[in-house]
Amino acid sequence: MKIIVDNIHVHISGVKILNGVSLEVGEGEVVGLIGRNGAGKTTTLKTIMGLIRPTEGSIYIERDGSTIDVGRMKPYKIARLGVTLVPQGRFIFPDLTVIENLEVAYGGVPPDDLLEDIFRYFPELKKIRDRKGIHLSGGEQQMLAIARALVMKPRIILLDEPLEGLAPKIVASVRRIINGIKSEGLGILITEAGNIKRIQDLVDRVYGIDRGEIIYSGDVEGIMKDVDARRRIWGF
Amino acid sequence: MDINLFIVQFFNALFFASILFLISSGLSLIYGIMKILNLAHGALYMLGAYVTFTVAILWLGMSWYSMLLAYLASILVVAGLGIFIERVLLKPLYNKPQDLQLLLTFALIFILDDIVKMIWGAQYRAFPKIPGWSIPVGDYQIPIYFILTVFIAIGVGLFLHWFFTRTTYGKMVRAISYSLETSSILGINTDRLFALSFALGAGLAGLAGGVAVPLYTASPGMGGDAIVLSFAVIVIGGMGSILGAFVGSLIVGFSRVFMAILFPVFEIALIYVIMAVILMFRPTGLFGMEMRERR
Repeated sequence: MKIIVDNIHVHISGVKILNGVSLEVGEGEVVGLIGRNGAGKTTTLKTIMGLIRPTEGSIYIERDGSTIDVGRMKPYKIARLGVTLVPQGRFIFPDLTVIENLEVAYGGVPPDDLLEDIFRYFPELKKIRDRKGIHLSGGEQQMLAIARALVMKPRIILLDEPLEGLAPKIVASVRRIINGIKSEGLGILITEAGNIKRIQDLVDRVYGIDRGEIIYSGDVEGIMKDVDARRRIWGF
Repeated sequence: MDINLFIVQFFNALFFASILFLISSGLSLIYGIMKILNLAHGALYMLGAYVTFTVAILWLGMSWYSMLLAYLASILVVAGLGIFIERVLLKPLYNKPQDLQLLLTFALIFILDDIVKMIWGAQYRAFPKIPGWSIPVGDYQIPIYFILTVFIAIGVGLFLHWFFTRTTYGKMVRAISYSLETSSILGINTDRLFALSFALGAGLAGLAGGVAVPLYTASPGMGGDAIVLSFAVIVIGGMGSILGAFVGSLIVGFSRVFMAILFPVFEIALIYVIMAVILMFRPTGLFGMEMRERR
């Protein structure tokens, strides 16, 4: 399965946010989307997910030999095709327990073997399975947000700044989980605002984005050597 | 107060509180889940009363069996109308200013009143008698129907609790009440759950009308009183809380019935005094949580 974003433009309240973004991400690879705050990373992910309609351009999902135009599709239908988003801010349902958060994403009580698979990645969640979302720490919420995406058995996951605001110990756990997901052959599109070092050993390749335009596409070492991209993303 | 009168009024208050609970739980859950203040909820209650009157009195003749069918008909007709209102009339307004939703549901009060007048005429439609027998208490009678109504209200409360805490659908509804965006990216069909939630709330109004009509008679505009008191109930109990609707209904039901006997001048005023006092100390009501904007 592959997501193909083809020259999308997005306007929000009359302001141009994305200006011809094109990118691809397929199963089995981890792709980074690097840009400063306000560059258009979250808008790109939300547009792929159907939460924002592009004013121009197309988004396709290639799956099982067919190409599906998802540019006008509703988010839940895109999710059911095997794409899901772990949003920035996590949005854990606060008055549902850990297990209930997983249940609504699965669409029923998840079978035990699936839960065991999930808890293999997140042993901490197993211990707090009956705790309500509102009582979880930031790290626990981030783990639950990823677990909630995985329980849907997606083929590509969009992770919006998953390491932001986490304690170093939790960052290490989340990085380990992302490596684990990658090794299972899922595709990952991960965004990062400033600290490329946090994801450089996780990603196979990166896109650089600035002011709604893709300004770099290539390997992670290359973006550090690209003077224009470096200046526009990190200001030096 | 004579003890027999007190007992009768106690059951009278329970009956009144049960009807209020059936109406206000639907109003509260529509607001809690969808953030829609459905001003036409009272008109849906009125429609439920007319449907039950038609099925139980005009079509089948009064019996427990026909009452049961009439309740079912009220629930289905009003829930079906609820789906039409939500999908066809409200949905186009979701991304518009909230005043438009208020205006629409306000307009629906008059439209539904007129539809009722066109179908059933403007006159009152009263049951020939209260269904079932009565229990004598001194010189007074307590209709067994009062007790049945209390059981219906308790049954509805338990059903709603079971639905929202034990079923995946119920948990999904709680999820969409927190965040539509997050729910939709998890593959939840939020459109369908919105329609289901509105239908559930409307169906409760229909059932409330059906249960109330043997006592209160069906008339155009009967929803006006009901909606005003239901707002008091959910403001006291807390917007979006079923437990709040339950407790709020008891407070409003009992204060109204007993004040009517003890201090008739304050019959209505006391409800709003209680409401004001609760709002001063708990602005979200007794069991309400801080409401979030729909996103």
